[in-house]
Amino acid sequence: MTTTTTAPVELDATLGGSVPPWRAYLPVLLAALPLALLPLLFGDSRTYMGLATGLLVAAGYAAGFNVIFGMTGQLFLSIGALGGVGGYACAILADRIGLPVVAAILAGTLLASALGALFSWVSVRRSLDVIFTGIVTLTFSLGFENLLLGQRELTGGEDGMRVEAGQDLFIGELVPGYYAILVALIGFLVLFRFLERSHYGWAFRALKDDETTAELAGVDVARYRIHAGAIGSAMVGLTGALYALNEGRVTPTAFEFAGVDVSSLVILAFGGLGTLLAPVIGATFFALLEEFVLRDLGTLRIAVYGLILTALFLFFRDGITGLVGRLRGRNDHLGPNRPV
Amino acid sequence: MGAVLLDGIVGGLQLGLLAMGLSLLYGLGGILNLAHGAVAVTAAIVASLVVDGVGYPIGVAAVIGVGAAALLTLAMDRTVMQAVYKQEGEHRVLLSLLLSLGVAFLVDGLLEWRYPSGALSIRIGGGPVDVFGIGMRRGSLYAAAIALVALGGMIFFLRRTTLGRAVRSIIEDEQGARLVGIDPARVRTLIFVVSGALAGLVAMTNSMSAPVDVRSGFAFTINALIVTVVGGLGSASGALLAGLLLGIVNVLSAFYIGAYVTSIILLTAAAVTILVKPSGLLGRSR
Repeated sequence: MTTTTTAPVELDATLGGSVPPWRAYLPVLLAALPLALLPLLFGDSRTYMGLATGLLVAAGYAAGFNVIFGMTGQLFLSIGALGGVGGYACAILADRIGLPVVAAILAGTLLASALGALFSWVSVRRSLDVIFTGIVTLTFSLGFENLLLGQRELTGGEDGMRVEAGQDLFIGELVPGYYAILVALIGFLVLFRFLERSHYGWAFRALKDDETTAELAGVDVARYRIHAGAIGSAMVGLTGALYALNEGRVTPTAFEFAGVDVSSLVILAFGGLGTLLAPVIGATFFALLEEFVLRDLGTLRIAVYGLILTALFLFFRDGITGLVGRLRGRNDHLGPNRPV
Repeated sequence: MGAVLLDGIVGGLQLGLLAMGLSLLYGLGGILNLAHGAVAVTAAIVASLVVDGVGYPIGVAAVIGVGAAALLTLAMDRTVMQAVYKQEGEHRVLLSLLLSLGVAFLVDGLLEWRYPSGALSIRIGGGPVDVFGIGMRRGSLYAAAIALVALGGMIFFLRRTTLGRAVRSIIEDEQGARLVGIDPARVRTLIFVVSGALAGLVAMTNSMSAPVDVRSGFAFTINALIVTVVGGLGSASGALLAGLLLGIVNVLSAFYIGAYVTSIILLTAAAVTILVKPSGLLGRSR
């Protein structure tokens, strides 16, 4: 086992146990700065602001997925559905029941978080959890989609429903809404780095490396996985709720598996699974790809996503960051990953 | 009630068949194929194209469709899955999930783009047939008969033929199988192709009662996965038993509550099984 020798080295190299806190959080600031300046350039263009907001929302989903999948290796195939839980719950609670907007956002976030924790809990009960996580969450995606279509009076079926609650508030406006989602995204990234630097980060790396060794070293693998599931799902649910309020409308298509889950996977695979800035780097790549390459392809887009997903996981498993590192360093690493 | 139950059994036989290939493949290679539904849909679309475009009779078209499904899985095994086989344990499962998901989107997306309204629906003429005093549609009876024959064939193959025994011996103990001269990689390829053909066959039998269209893949995959988990990963007879059980649960919940909750109820069934008996109904605990 190489675990004992590599883990401390990696810790020092990537995070720096001795690195002062301000330097550990510097990358978040550097990534947030250009995003914060975007409205100064495109503030009056509905199209460009819509694109930029879409980028932030995609990055928000990916940030949650990065905690669940990137940090603890749980393949949740229900990111879209969990975002939908946040979005629809927030919309229904605020509009139909009349809850204050903040309470509705909180409730949607907590509901998604509880579901995520439940999925993790079901799956980590025994070994083989990679499969169970995938199957349980994938089934939930289908179940949630059917529920939205079936409960027509509550959800508006396939046409979706209008969300009035955010329309008189700043979240419903173009530029202020963008900043609200950006603040949430920065919060996610800060939380991600905070987790990495805490005992969570230590446990996550240990259990991702080798579960049995981690268990033997005294890491409560089940507990840490469930916590990761809850924290990541909360991020996804919150993103869904903010999206719903900003967009003023929720539809099944906005949260569909073929949209959100595939984009989250592509974003993380491109940006480097489990790395701090993967959601932002990947989402930027994805937004540019969508706008300049895939816009006029119609349903062929789904096929292209499939191709990208397959290619990314076949050839660049550590994302673009890893590829750059590999090209700079040892080229022989490319050898074994070539197709046969 | 009786009619609903019979419908459930007919559906359950097909579910069992759909899950059997997936389950064996997991037992053999430690891989899960999320493109299973996409393979089934490919068979359906190819068959419908052969009928409408070329004008062959439906029987021939169905055989060609099943053959196309088998070819697609062979291609998967020879290309993307090779990277999966190089991995071990949990990484192998994970990579197989990710890559087969990519393939599923690629295949589904191409089909939906090229044949947006593509669908297969095999109509079996003639009135209802009396079974235990219940009028059954002929299409359902044909589907049940075909599923039963295929299931019987699979069970015979696994229990009575040398190759089938080789499959079971690898599931039992891969190292031991290697020692007695069995090549796990070749057997895995064979089972991959068989699972594809079975998925194609289920697309044919399903289309005898309701059309199978380009968007059916997702539901096919998920149903097969649930049945696989409930029956026990790697167990062929478990897949059949779970298929029958869930087929009946499926029609009962659709009949009494509404079709839209069936997947939630199936999900609950799968979750409860995982919690109570993690290895599934007939699966071996590891």
